[in-house]
Amino acid sequence: MIISLNWLKKFTSIDMSVSDLATLIGARLVEIEEVVNLGEKYDKIIVVKVVEASKLEGSDHLSVTKINDGGVTDGVERDENGLVQVVCGAPNIKAGQMVVWLPPNSIIPETSGSSEPFKLGSRKLCGEMSNGMIASARELDLFDEHAGILVVDNDIALGKSFATAYELDDYLLDIENKSLTHRPDCFGVIGFAREVAAIQGKAFETPDWLLDIAPNFDTLDGEKVELSVNIDDANLSSRYQAIVMSGADAGKQSPLMIQMYLSRVGIRPINAVVDVTNYLMMLTGQPLHAFDYDKLVAVAGGQADIHVRAGKDGEKLTLLDGRTIEITSEDIVIAAGETAIGLAGAMGGANTEIDENTKNIIIESATFNLYNLRSTQMRHGIFSEAITRFTKGQPAELTAPVLAMAVNLMSEWSGAKCVSDVTQAYPVKTTQPVIETTSAFVNEILGSEFSSDEIIKTIKNVEFTAEATSDNKIKIAAPYWRSDVHIIEDVIEEVGRLNGFDNISPLLPKRDFAAVRPVEFDILRSNLRKIMASAGANEVLNYSFVHGDMLKKANQSADNSYRIVNSISPDLQYYRQSLTPSLLGLVHPNIKQGFDSFALFELNKSHEKYDGLNYEGVPVEIDSMALIVADKNSQQGAAYYQAKYLIEFLLHRLGVKLTFKPIESDNDDALFAPFEYRRSAMVADGDKIIGVIGEYKKSVSKAFKLPEFAAGYEIDTMALLEAYNNTTNSYKPLSRYPATDRDVCFQVEQSVNYNQVIDAAEVALAEIELDSEITPVDIYQTENGETKNVTIRVKLISHDHTLVGEEISAAINHVTSAVVAATYAKVI
Amino acid sequence: MDNVKEIQDKLIAQVALSDTPREILKSSELKQLYGAITSLPVEERGNYGKSINQLKQALELAITSKESDLENAAVETIDVTAPWDKNTGRLNLLPAEQGTRHPLTTEIENIIDIFTRMGFDAFESRQIDNDENMFGALNFPENHPARDGYDTFRTEEGFIPPAHTSTMQNRILKAGKAKLEAGGQIAAVSYGRVFRNEDLDATHEHTFYQYEGVFVSKDATLGQMIGALRSFFEIYYGQKLKTKTQPAYFPFVEPGLEFAIERPVALGGKPGDWLEMLGCGMIHPNVLKSAGIDPVIYRGFAWGGGVERLVMLKHGIEDIRHFESGKLQFLRKFL
Repeated sequence: MIISLNWLKKFTSIDMSVSDLATLIGARLVEIEEVVNLGEKYDKIIVVKVVEASKLEGSDHLSVTKINDGGVTDGVERDENGLVQVVCGAPNIKAGQMVVWLPPNSIIPETSGSSEPFKLGSRKLCGEMSNGMIASARELDLFDEHAGILVVDNDIALGKSFATAYELDDYLLDIENKSLTHRPDCFGVIGFAREVAAIQGKAFETPDWLLDIAPNFDTLDGEKVELSVNIDDANLSSRYQAIVMSGADAGKQSPLMIQMYLSRVGIRPINAVVDVTNYLMMLTGQPLHAFDYDKLVAVAGGQADIHVRAGKDGEKLTLLDGRTIEITSEDIVIAAGETAIGLAGAMGGANTEIDENTKNIIIESATFNLYNLRSTQMRHGIFSEAITRFTKGQPAELTAPVLAMAVNLMSEWSGAKCVSDVTQAYPVKTTQPVIETTSAFVNEILGSEFSSDEIIKTIKNVEFTAEATSDNKIKIAAPYWRSDVHIIEDVIEEVGRLNGFDNISPLLPKRDFAAVRPVEFDILRSNLRKIMASAGANEVLNYSFVHGDMLKKANQSADNSYRIVNSISPDLQYYRQSLTPSLLGLVHPNIKQGFDSFALFELNKSHEKYDGLNYEGVPVEIDSMALIVADKNSQQGAAYYQAKYLIEFLLHRLGVKLTFKPIESDNDDALFAPFEYRRSAMVADGDKIIGVIGEYKKSVSKAFKLPEFAAGYEIDTMALLEAYNNTTNSYKPLSRYPATDRDVCFQVEQSVNYNQVIDAAEVALAEIELDSEITPVDIYQTENGETKNVTIRVKLISHDHTLVGEEISAAINHVTSAVVAATYAKVI
Repeated sequence: MDNVKEIQDKLIAQVALSDTPREILKSSELKQLYGAITSLPVEERGNYGKSINQLKQALELAITSKESDLENAAVETIDVTAPWDKNTGRLNLLPAEQGTRHPLTTEIENIIDIFTRMGFDAFESRQIDNDENMFGALNFPENHPARDGYDTFRTEEGFIPPAHTSTMQNRILKAGKAKLEAGGQIAAVSYGRVFRNEDLDATHEHTFYQYEGVFVSKDATLGQMIGALRSFFEIYYGQKLKTKTQPAYFPFVEPGLEFAIERPVALGGKPGDWLEMLGCGMIHPNVLKSAGIDPVIYRGFAWGGGVERLVMLKHGIEDIRHFESGKLQFLRKFL
């Protein structure tokens, strides 16, 4: 929204610089995005009189003019009478006109601020010298001209600055609308001025006509036109007023000064009738609409019978902008008889549009249910100045004073006269609540030290009624235009805001010394990140949503994903079912960027539709950690073991023991779906499966263009936390006696797993009264490929004596026979 | 037409048995079917063409699926319990010096650490939630125009990827109610990932992170809120700071403010250069009420800000899209 400083000044004095004012408004009312110096554009530009104008010979459209600038411009060629010659191309140029002259060295306002501002000079056109130019409204960056050059009012002194004459020596404040969503009053200049007065500590006085919520309309002489108005559903509109005026001259323009003000705040002047409605909307925040009376009567079948009603599904309406829309039952419709003639609050219908033949008009001043209008706005994509105001919730009381002023201006500017009574439907009257409080309560919430008198003065400045009662309370009622004030907190905001929140002393809340315990899960995740980074892996964050193609590539079923229905991009179509697919998607791009060998990991959340809802009725959310390790160059050994080495490092650091269990058959659970079961394991905490580790299916690998060496894991971090919390201290005191190592090599069938050997050895060692450790030494596949040799190192430790040969042999024999028994191994 | 169906069944059966399923696309049966179209009366050609197309699609699907089966079939099983592959040896980690943490998660840890030391409990926000937690419990009635500012995504079921971490506010208030009523305070921060349905550019992401705080006691004031926020930023930047506020409208607070700090030394410190940091305000009585807390007895304040902004200012990051790009050349610039 654009606010003109000069327009504000008509209602309140401002005694500080523009930049100080902008800072103050920013601190106490609303963010200002930009302040534009409008006057700069009109530097050197003056009002002059056309003394002579004659057709230029040899041109079909140019005229040679002599202008009188009152002699104020220096350094310009003049004739013997002191007049300046300007060649003009406008068809409407005539001697005697007052026009706007851009002298040599001035810049055409339309081009100022552009990348190529156009500076005028003196040059010959068709052989005639032209000094500067006579400007059109468009060239003056005001509005699209109607006829050619802009002809201004007669009573302006020759040579007067154009900006001064039309108050264009102005500053425009570009306001961030969003923070005024709850303030319908601030969407009018008067309401904004009220705030500007109060934040300067000044009392504001609203013009009498706007305070008069039951204005008198002149009694009519002669014959009255009948007009009926009905609100068919009181939920749709709290007030609808209308009046018929006759004799509007649609060809008539509003005063030029008004056009100048409208255009600077972004409203195109059209004609007197339309300008009245727009001017009053900008002034008060109350939108008005004008219908062609005769068209309305024709549509309604002979009488002016207006209804406010819900739209009917399937109903169609052609709007003023030419679009034909399909109305729904959530739209509010203005109907003449049965037929829709407008989308309430949003846009009028073409069937009752004012045109050059319009003589009689109906002016509507009404308020509508803002929630319906908001949905209308979204559904039909209408973002007009009017609906922007209506959706802030304009109060019902505002319609009457604005309509009364509209009648006055309409008669003044367009010559129209009232021919009907004001007709209204006003089903539900609202009253402002009386709010009682004390200065102590206000101060308790703000942390301030205002006296009752200061509080009363502050809110009286914005025209609340406020009085101290005998029992030390303050009785407050908001003026009718503050439909946003309901509860004491709303008043407290006004007190704090208008005096400046920054003037309240900041202090800290009191607390006791009890320390806050950081969240265990957060500490674990922080450790996981540090550990994986120390293992050379890089943490990434991927979007929570993926493209359907990614699910397909990862062998996951789209049916298992929550689907986003209003996404701007197909890349954000489905919730992730697991973290792995997004990591797979990062491998190829990074290899292309020249990274040959890396590991990426992510800690994040995933959601599977099949998991259903939790106790709160929202989808189950799984916290996981996933990693992928990849190398562009082929490596010795399967990638699986690299991923396993990384997770074992992690588990070792955490002191958590998990097991890796072979997967018997293909598993299409989302977590397992991308993994090749013959080269993957289930990660288990005891009997509980908490993750997967392995290489990817060939088809997945191909779809993501993975290198041959690629593997990864994904584990449930909440389950990992549980395992971590169940970890017992594994520390054993150091022994004073030397430990003994023995390497043992078992030849086993290919099908025997390494763990079968280790498990048997561990069980056997547990039966011996010595401490022991087992570490792998070698896994060798024999030439025939049917067997493998697994060599392990057994460390034996005694805490009370030095071990002797027989003891050691007995222990090792116990271990080897146990392994042999369990795996049919041959000791070699 | 029956003929087409028959041929389809036959070819798909062949695909299931073939080791080179794609070859079946060149079969003579198919060629004959294509050829037959010209011999049909014009009015039958449309339907015939459609059924041939359906056949082609079904066949293509069967072939792709068979090819993927074939690919996945020739796989050697490994011993997943072994520490390394046979005939190889002990493995190594990746070079430690190339490992990094993500700058956003690192920063979130810093932020939460400061608030924890200030006495706030931490709660991570959810990534999928409902309308009640997103809007309803926060004093945004149905169709309220202030909902527009949040550009929320929605799922088919009407769930919402949260557009602010305030989705945790109602939960935090409910969880803290007993402590509050026993004479304590509610002091909590929530943090997490939020989503807005926006186009991407260098300064706009549809996915980003927020941190937010809630404080409720019998005597919370707006002055305390400004004090607590100033204190947080002074610890965060390690210096005294000038702060200022500006009125703002959020339905879940009353009064509502935006909070700014003067550019600190660490960021090139310029007097008069204000950095907008977060939105804040006194919790609206309706929000307390929806958590069953009596707004006559208790009052509170809340705030919420973005993490990316802090990180971008800190490191001079030029494009917000880097964060979720997964690019190693970006990630490896951090610690």
